[in-house]
Amino acid sequence: MSTQITPAAGGRTPQAAADQEEAEVRRGHEAERSDRTRAEARLGWYLAGPAFVVMLAVTAYPILQATFDSLFRFKLTAQDEREFIGLGNYSMILTDPVFWSSMWVTLLITVVTVLVELVLGFALALVMHRAVRQLRGLLRTAILVPYGIITVVSAFAWFYAFDINSGFVNSWFSWVPGIDENLNWFAETGPSLFVIMASEIWKTTPFISLLLLAGLAQVPGDLEEAAEVDGATWWQRLKRVVIPNMKAAIMVAVLFRALDAFRIFDNVFIMTGGANNTQVLSLLAYDQSISRLEIGLGSAISVLLFLCVLLICFAAIKLFKVDLAGARGEG
Amino acid sequence: MTGLSTKQRVWWGVITVLVLVYALFPVAAVAATSFKRPSELNSGTFLPPNPTWGNYEQILVGDAQGLFLSALRNSVGISLIATAIAVVLATLAAYAIARLDFPGKRVVLTTALGVSIFPIISLVTPLFNVWRSIGLYDTWAGLIIPYLSLTLPISIWTLSAFFRQIPWELEQAAQVDGATSWQAFRKAIVPLAAPGVFTTALIAFFIAWNDFVYGISLTSTEAARPVPAALAFFTGASQFEEPTGSISAAAVVVTVPVVVLVLLFQRQIVSGLTQGAVKG
Amino acid sequence: MRRRRAAAGALGLTAAMVLVGCGGEDGPPTLTWYTNPDAGGQAVIAQRCTEEADGAYRIEVSTLPREASEQRQQLARRLAAEDASIDLMSLDPPFIPEFANAGFLAEIPAEMAERVSEDVVAGALAGATWEDELVTVPFWANTQLLWYRESVVEEAGLDMSEPVTWDQLIEVAQEQDLVLGVQGTKAESMTVWINALVASAGGTIVENPEAPTDEITLGLDSEAGREAARIMGEIGGGGLGGPGLPTADENANLSVFQGDRASFMVNWPFVWTATVDAVDAGTLDAEVLEDFGWAIYPQVVEGEESRPPYGGINIGVGAFSNHTDLALEAAECVVAPENQAEYFATNGNPPASTAAYDDPAVQDAFPMADLIRESLEQAEPRPQTPFYNEVSTGLQETWHPASAVSDSTPASSADFITAVLRGERLL
Repeated sequence: MSTQITPAAGGRTPQAAADQEEAEVRRGHEAERSDRTRAEARLGWYLAGPAFVVMLAVTAYPILQATFDSLFRFKLTAQDEREFIGLGNYSMILTDPVFWSSMWVTLLITVVTVLVELVLGFALALVMHRAVRQLRGLLRTAILVPYGIITVVSAFAWFYAFDINSGFVNSWFSWVPGIDENLNWFAETGPSLFVIMASEIWKTTPFISLLLLAGLAQVPGDLEEAAEVDGATWWQRLKRVVIPNMKAAIMVAVLFRALDAFRIFDNVFIMTGGANNTQVLSLLAYDQSISRLEIGLGSAISVLLFLCVLLICFAAIKLFKVDLAGARGEG
Repeated sequence: MTGLSTKQRVWWGVITVLVLVYALFPVAAVAATSFKRPSELNSGTFLPPNPTWGNYEQILVGDAQGLFLSALRNSVGISLIATAIAVVLATLAAYAIARLDFPGKRVVLTTALGVSIFPIISLVTPLFNVWRSIGLYDTWAGLIIPYLSLTLPISIWTLSAFFRQIPWELEQAAQVDGATSWQAFRKAIVPLAAPGVFTTALIAFFIAWNDFVYGISLTSTEAARPVPAALAFFTGASQFEEPTGSISAAAVVVTVPVVVLVLLFQRQIVSGLTQGAVKG
Repeated sequence: MRRRRAAAGALGLTAAMVLVGCGGEDGPPTLTWYTNPDAGGQAVIAQRCTEEADGAYRIEVSTLPREASEQRQQLARRLAAEDASIDLMSLDPPFIPEFANAGFLAEIPAEMAERVSEDVVAGALAGATWEDELVTVPFWANTQLLWYRESVVEEAGLDMSEPVTWDQLIEVAQEQDLVLGVQGTKAESMTVWINALVASAGGTIVENPEAPTDEITLGLDSEAGREAARIMGEIGGGGLGGPGLPTADENANLSVFQGDRASFMVNWPFVWTATVDAVDAGTLDAEVLEDFGWAIYPQVVEGEESRPPYGGINIGVGAFSNHTDLALEAAECVVAPENQAEYFATNGNPPASTAAYDDPAVQDAFPMADLIRESLEQAEPRPQTPFYNEVSTGLQETWHPASAVSDSTPASSADFITAVLRGERLL
């Protein structure tokens, strides 16, 4: 969904630049320096401050509010019966099998879609990277179409294609064992998840492939050529030269897609609404607070979901740092 | 395609066709459905046997007009405003990050990162509860504010990356000529930064345009409901009738602008999306 | 700066809309009527009542989503925000207790209550009442009939002039390898089916619907509950509902029933108007329509009168409306028997008022009008509890898919719903 770098990578270059600048300044007059630093700091906060405040206002404040609300039993259609129950909502949720099954389904979707997207996205990135100039524009444009499409539209497109009544997939693929005109894709967990993940993969692979394309551009061409001269096969070059050199890009892409996939909501909502054990965490939170108007319960799930994302993020950044160093060592 | 052997040409032909099918087939499927008559929906064929504009009439001038056109207006308006606010704020912030040395720079960047990975659904419950008590529920402002959590972080990151490539000597030259920091920024840098800002706006708009969670949770009528949420609530010609045809037609209508933008600005979008990822 | 201006602009726009909603300075006040989707009939009635009001008020309709549960959600969320722009709303009866209990509905004066209750079928009156007070105005009442294909019945040698049982339907479908039309999708329509089965077996889903949330007891774990589960399991497990059963709603049922493998179907009367329209439009063979037959809802226990589903729409007046008096007036206009009759004839939604059934237009459009009235007298509403949403969603959670329903489903379902109501389980 978004293209960023991790703070670890992000800080490096500007920090270096800043250091250098600082060293230059230090050579100047002391008084002038402190004046300028102060003015610069002030200007910096004048410029960056509004964005910073807005970002905090739209996230930190609501999550604090949610943390507070999660300590109450609070239903909007019975507002008078609001009562403080401490961590009651949390203990109820964490001992509930529905929460854990949603958790596993969410994790399954995350792992499968990210892995498939990584392979598919890499293939697409290679195609775009190697394509002759005349084709490059066409290929990129085509690949950007799924990226730009509304997820809900993608969900409907895949849903209607597979739907037992309005779909054409059953009649087109009836030669595949297990598929016939009586297959109801949205009647069982496996097939439902298959279509949900297919839609998710179709829509988000372009994003991952563009990140990987950027990574490919960083692989030193002479290294690859040298390997080719040494008689390495295409596969060996890919494995020994290309992939190690773009490990950083791969990790960034995987982390962001994983966190994005973990929030999956639109596709499930449109296709099954959580039926056949396809309930995911985001939908579970939505069901409690928006459908049932149980603000307390919904807030508690929201907080738990937030903690999960934090956990994944920290774990990944730690791993990422290690890998980054490793990649550098090899290069 | 000079310089390619016949075999290579064939290969590239095959690959191109595969990529095109991958990228465009689901769109084609929904477009085909949008031309089917109600009685043909269950025909099990890909193409409509007797194509009709009926579904488009239904959503553009017919009964579903109220729902669809107001949603379209809301989506365009809300996404544009949310994008504009985000880009203005992000331009200022990204300039400071790329150019100035001030304490807390990393804090701003890390915050942007944190916000961009925030699980949206976690914000929905508290926002819904607060919005309904202060009257922002089901209003444009009630969506624009949370949309900033989607558009602002990506704008800051993308623009910071763009701004790092700008030749800042120009600014220094302007400052030597006696301009203040602010004047230097405005006169020397803004024109150079404009393409980056435009690309950022495009990407931010796509993200706002795509939102479903906020749209479905924080609205309940045509006053503010955006297109993705409206699609989920479409109704057929009568109570129990499936709205398959009109949803497909509406899906096509909202996809056309996306395809046009992508066609026009393919190069910019790709550079914008890859910018933040590689350049630190 | 820019942000503030934009936000102010958006706020201003909303304010403008609210003003329009309240009538502003010029023209009569505008009442907003939130309607469930139909074939445009409610908009016509709104138009007519606006004319009849002669400048006292104008009614504008705003359409709600298709799913009953979504309609509830949209309205409840706004009403919880004390939204003044909700003047009139078309409410599905099961959700009325929740709204009434939360204080979302304006009080109906006793005199008016008396007037609008006159000649109204019993089920509709019960559905409009909460704690012995009329809290909404009965508008139209719906019920499901048993639809059958004459050719199938003929071959099976069934006598359709007498009520038939679910077991007989199952037997015919098995013998002739045909599909039974029932609502097996995980949605409100499935609750409708379960409720009718349990009630027809002599049971009830909620025993004390007016009790507070932690005292509600369920009647599912009973002979009646298990009998309902047996029928559902046999249809689901035996594949008698066709491959589409787990996602089949009323409309999907109808398209199967218009096809080659049709046998029987339980469904609302809209299927008649929809099929007649399809034949008129030339998209369906007239022979199919001629093969349609109808009878009273099937029995669970032979010889014991069935309890068909009761549905429909009542008109509620928003408690936070700025014009509750005008809205009440408008509600009374909307439900006038002649409006109900015309609505039935044009949109296929049966009236709540018994008088409307004698209208010649009704008799003309619906050859089965008398059967519908009879069915309505026998119909059983879904549980009238403020926690209906939990009960219904809990049922769908535990009884879907129909193929997995077994002898133990009623007991585990009752346990689950009870735990949800006690705040011990998620839904």
